[in-house]
This record gives sequence, structure tokens and C-alpha cells, in this order.
Amino acid sequence: MDARAVTLEQLSRLCHDGEWRRGLREAAPSGFAELDASLPGGGWPMGAVCEFMPAAMGIGELSLLAPALSQLAQAGRCIAWIAPPYLPYAPALVQQGLPLNRVLIVQTRGVQESLWAAEQALRCPAFGAVLSWPADITDKNVRRLQLAAEAGGSLGILYRPPEAAQEHSPAALRLRLRPTQNGLTVEIHKCRGGRAGVRLQLPMSRIDAALAVHSFAATRA
Amino acid sequence: MLLWLCIRLPQLAREARAGQPRPAAERSEKDLLVQRAALERLAAWAYQWSSLISYAPSEPLLWLELGASCALFDGHAALLAKIEAELVQLGYSHVCALAPSPTAAALLTRATGARHALTQAQLRAQLEPLPLQLLDLPAPILTALRASGLRRIGEVLELPAAAIARRFEPETLLYLQRLCGKVSDPRPAWCLPPTYRSRCEFGLEVRTSTALLFPLRRLLLEFQGYLRARDCSVQRFTLEFEHYRHPGSRVSIGLSAAGRDAAQFLTLVRERLHSLALPAPVRALRLEALEFTSPTIVQTDLFGNDAQPLQQLQRLLDRLRARLGEDSVQALELAADYRPERGWRFLAPERSLAGGANGAGSSGADSSGAGSHSDAPPRPCWLLLEPVRIEAPTQLLRGPERLESGWWDGEDVGRDYYLARTGEGSQIWVFHDRRAGHWYLQGLWA
Repeated sequence: MDARAVTLEQLSRLCHDGEWRRGLREAAPSGFAELDASLPGGGWPMGAVCEFMPAAMGIGELSLLAPALSQLAQAGRCIAWIAPPYLPYAPALVQQGLPLNRVLIVQTRGVQESLWAAEQALRCPAFGAVLSWPADITDKNVRRLQLAAEAGGSLGILYRPPEAAQEHSPAALRLRLRPTQNGLTVEIHKCRGGRAGVRLQLPMSRIDAALAVHSFAATRA
Repeated sequence: MLLWLCIRLPQLAREARAGQPRPAAERSEKDLLVQRAALERLAAWAYQWSSLISYAPSEPLLWLELGASCALFDGHAALLAKIEAELVQLGYSHVCALAPSPTAAALLTRATGARHALTQAQLRAQLEPLPLQLLDLPAPILTALRASGLRRIGEVLELPAAAIARRFEPETLLYLQRLCGKVSDPRPAWCLPPTYRSRCEFGLEVRTSTALLFPLRRLLLEFQGYLRARDCSVQRFTLEFEHYRHPGSRVSIGLSAAGRDAAQFLTLVRERLHSLALPAPVRALRLEALEFTSPTIVQTDLFGNDAQPLQQLQRLLDRLRARLGEDSVQALELAADYRPERGWRFLAPERSLAGGANGAGSSGADSSGAGSHSDAPPRPCWLLLEPVRIEAPTQLLRGPERLESGWWDGEDVGRDYYLARTGEGSQIWVFHDRRAGHWYLQGLWA
């Protein structure tokens, strides 16, 4: 960015675009145009914590993130999976465009260790995104992670149960996710620097379109 | 020209026990042992600045020949400042003196006033006004000299050599000649041991891990000095906490990339201490390193941002492993098998990260096991490690995909895979076992 301001007008624009927005850092495009349009900066906020509150597991809560993750990983940054509830399945990650040599899985023995590991990973600029599934997390913990994400400039994703929407949280972005017949309803519950309450229908092409291409020929070894 | 730095460590025995006092009655041969061990460690530490090290355990004194290394470290003043700063960090009280000969440097550490003499002329000027008693000569000789009306070192040095040789033992003349550099002053050179072992004993038993941090820091700083001296790095070292009437607790500290930074070591040790339950109070601490590697060059960019992403990552890996366990961090790779539960495997992160450090290796092309996956239909992001037996799903969306494999290794499977939807709207990956006739859940389309 050109940091010179000759006229007052330029100065005010500079303050607006530069300093004021610096708190938001840059954003990682989500890969969904509709969603990007509703997020300040046009994507997932880097250097911040986002909370995803899916109504159930297996409704597309990872696919929503996949385009951004694969972009970050292709740019050379690592993706940390802190104590995932199931095993991230390597062939599926490759299909989603995620290079496996940028995927790290951290196993922990409890929430405290998970939070500690997530904080450490978020602080490390080598990571593009840190995903974690804490069973129980307080305001204070989220704030700690938020600070760590700011320090490392990475994207922190917390998967939380749908009931968490009732609680207050310092996360920069909070999304409620609900399944639909062929996609995902994303409701922006809270958005720092943006508008809350927006509800979007995102088609999750992940399965249906891809499945249509493939024929289910019997696979024989 | 030779320039000797002499470090006098007046409180060494007490400080080597991490500052804990000992009853005066117990001050004994044991103190000498402690002192000697501490000097050994300090000699290894000092080797990073000089290749000629010597020490005298009785006093205790440590000599470093700095003449050869001055140019490398921006002159003697800068080098001396660096050495003294590290001594303060190590927590040893000390007196430093510089002189062209080791004998003179040792004498100057006892003097008050200016202690640095770079040339013979400066040395002479500094020695002359000093009182006679500072000479390291037996008491009868000092008495005899004083009885002859001599008071200052300068007056003794002016005596003709022949007169001294006639009156006293030859050692006296030799001492005086060495003092002013008239004859050579050889010292037994201390040799760097090929492996590193150091031990630090405490005066009292240490009960809390916070109280261990100070001696640990010192031990690791000395270790760092040794590593710098040998210009090598270490990938693994062992710490042992010795207990009274208990076998010692050993902790092995491993690094993903060889290093020699005491601060980094300390962070790792702290993380390990966090999860380590010591069975009894600690009496002594032992550090051992047997294998060394050539140093990893730390590359700094133009603006001095020395922490490269890969190095930061390696440090993070070390920290995670130190706290969460050796195999807590895993990477993934594809395996050549059609059975989903065998189509992947864990991999050491170092091996995974090494493959395409710039993230160049992208989808599928980064593994030899990709063959059986490249043409496979879409797979779910979540896999259950063990398939879970379920009731027959009501809503099948796609399928079947038939999989017959594994007849050669006894894990023969015959399965029809389906994509199904649950009542909650989750999409799941299920299969019908054609042999047993049961349904199983194996994955989630997240």
C-alpha cells in the first residue's frame, strides 16, 4: 500500500483503509462468493478466532472451510488439527485439494491440553489455520486463543456445539450451521466489523456434483 | 602476543550448590570436589572463546588465553564484556584480570584498582605499587623480603636475579621471572572431552520444580558454551534428577532439528517438568549428551528476521512433543490399499514436511500410495478408526460402491458402500458387509 498522503482526503482514506482496517488483518477467501460478500475483508478473517456451531457432525462443516484451507496449505502454511473427533481421512483431504505434507494432527489428553496446543500453534506463524474441537471452553479461553491468533496471524477455528450460540464469546466471527437438502445454511451469529443475522444458503457441491461424475464401478483389487 | 584472562571465582563452592549455604563444619574435601566439577564445566563453557584453557582447582582460578581470539570477537574489551555478562547469567561472582602472563593475571585478580594490563610495560607499571603480600610466594619468603625492608612488588622486581637465586629456592626466581614475562609461563592445556557430562549437586534437597529452574538454566548455559566451543549441535540429551534412596528420574529431551540454544532447551525442559512427577526431592542434577551433529546454520534475512517458518515449526513441534508426549504430533500419508481403514497411515511430521518444504507437492502427487486413490470416488473427510455396527440406514442417497479386497492378507472384505442421510441431516458413509450381512458406519461427510 502506498503510505503517502498528499491531501486531507487521501489521508482520511488511508486511515480508513489502512489503520482502521488493520485490526481485521487480511482475509482468506472462503471460496463461496456469497459468503465472502458478507464477511468484512471478503473472507475468513486471518489473525482471529472463528466459531463454527454445526447442528450436527457430518453436515459439511469441514467442506465449508476446505477451499480456504487448501489455499493456505498450497501457500506453504500448515494446518493443525488439534484433537479432532474422528480421523481426518487422508484420501478425502487430497480430493479436497489439501496437500498432505501441510497437515499436522495433534493428539491430546483433555481439554486443557487441547487449548494449550491450539494456543501454541496459533502463535506460530508457520500455521495458516488451527482447527480444534474443545468440549468445554470459557470466554477467557477464547480470548486467549484470539490473542494467540493475532500474534501468529493465523486463522483459528473452534468447533462448538449449537448450544454455545446462547453464550457470549469474544470470537471475531461466529457461525451457526444447519444442514439443508443439498447444502448448508450458514447464519452469521456474530461478525466483528460486519453485519450479524445474515442467513445464507450455500450449495455444498462436495458430494453430489462430484458423485455425479463418478460411476460406481465395482472396484476390484 | 599472548593475553591471558584470569577469572577468580571466590564463592565457587557455595554458588555451585545453587546458592545454598552449608554448615561451616561440613566444608571439607567434598567442597573441593564440587569446586573441581564446577571448574570442569566452566572450562568447557569458556572453550567457546579460547582454545587454550587452564584452571587451578585449589584457588579456584580459570585462565583463558584471549590474544588469539580478540580479533574475532571485536577486541578484548568487547570480548571481556561478553564473558562477564555470561558469568553474571550463570550466577557466579567473579573477578577478572588481563595480563600478558597467567601468573601476572592471577596476581592482578587479587589486587585492588586497575586489573587490565595489555603490554609488559603496562603490567610493570601496575605491579610496581602493589604490596608485597600479593605475591604468590610461601610465607617465610615473604617475611624475609619484608625483613629486608622491601614493601612493594616493584622493589622486589628490581632486585638482581643473581641475588634472589642465591638467597631463595629456584622456584622463587622462576615465579618472579614469569610474573614479568621474562621466561615462558606454560600451563597445562585443558582438553575438551568428546562427550558431555555434567553434574550439579545441591546443598539441600530441592522440593519444587520452580526451584530447579535456576540450576537447570545454569547447566544448560554451560552446555550451550560447550556446544559452541565444539561448534556442534545436539539432537538429544538426557537429564537425570538424582534422589535420596530412589532411583534417579531420567528425562530424555529430543529435538526435531539439532540445536544449541540454551533458551530453547530450557523451554523444552520446562514443558517436560510440567508433566513429570518426581518421586522424591532432588539432590543433584546430571546432564549428559553423547552424540553430536554438525550445527544447523541459522539463516538470517537482510532485516535480521532469523526465525524462519520451518525453524519456528520445528521449535513448536519440539514444544508440543515435550508436553504432550513423543508421538502426539502426526502427519498423514496415503497408503496403497483399497480398504479405507488401510488407505492411510501416520507419518513422522519431519518426514512429511521435508517433502516439498514450499508446499509444492499438491494433491495426490506427494505420495507413492496415491495410485489406488487417484481414480477413487469421493471420500468423506472424517473416518472412524473402527467401523461401528449400526441398524440398516433408512435413507440411502448414493451407492452402492462395491469393494472386494484383502483376500491375500487374511483381512478379506466384501463391502457395498453407500452414502446415507441420518435424521439429523448428517451425511454418513456406511457399508453393508456382504459376508456377515451387517451394516457399519465408517465415515462422515463433514
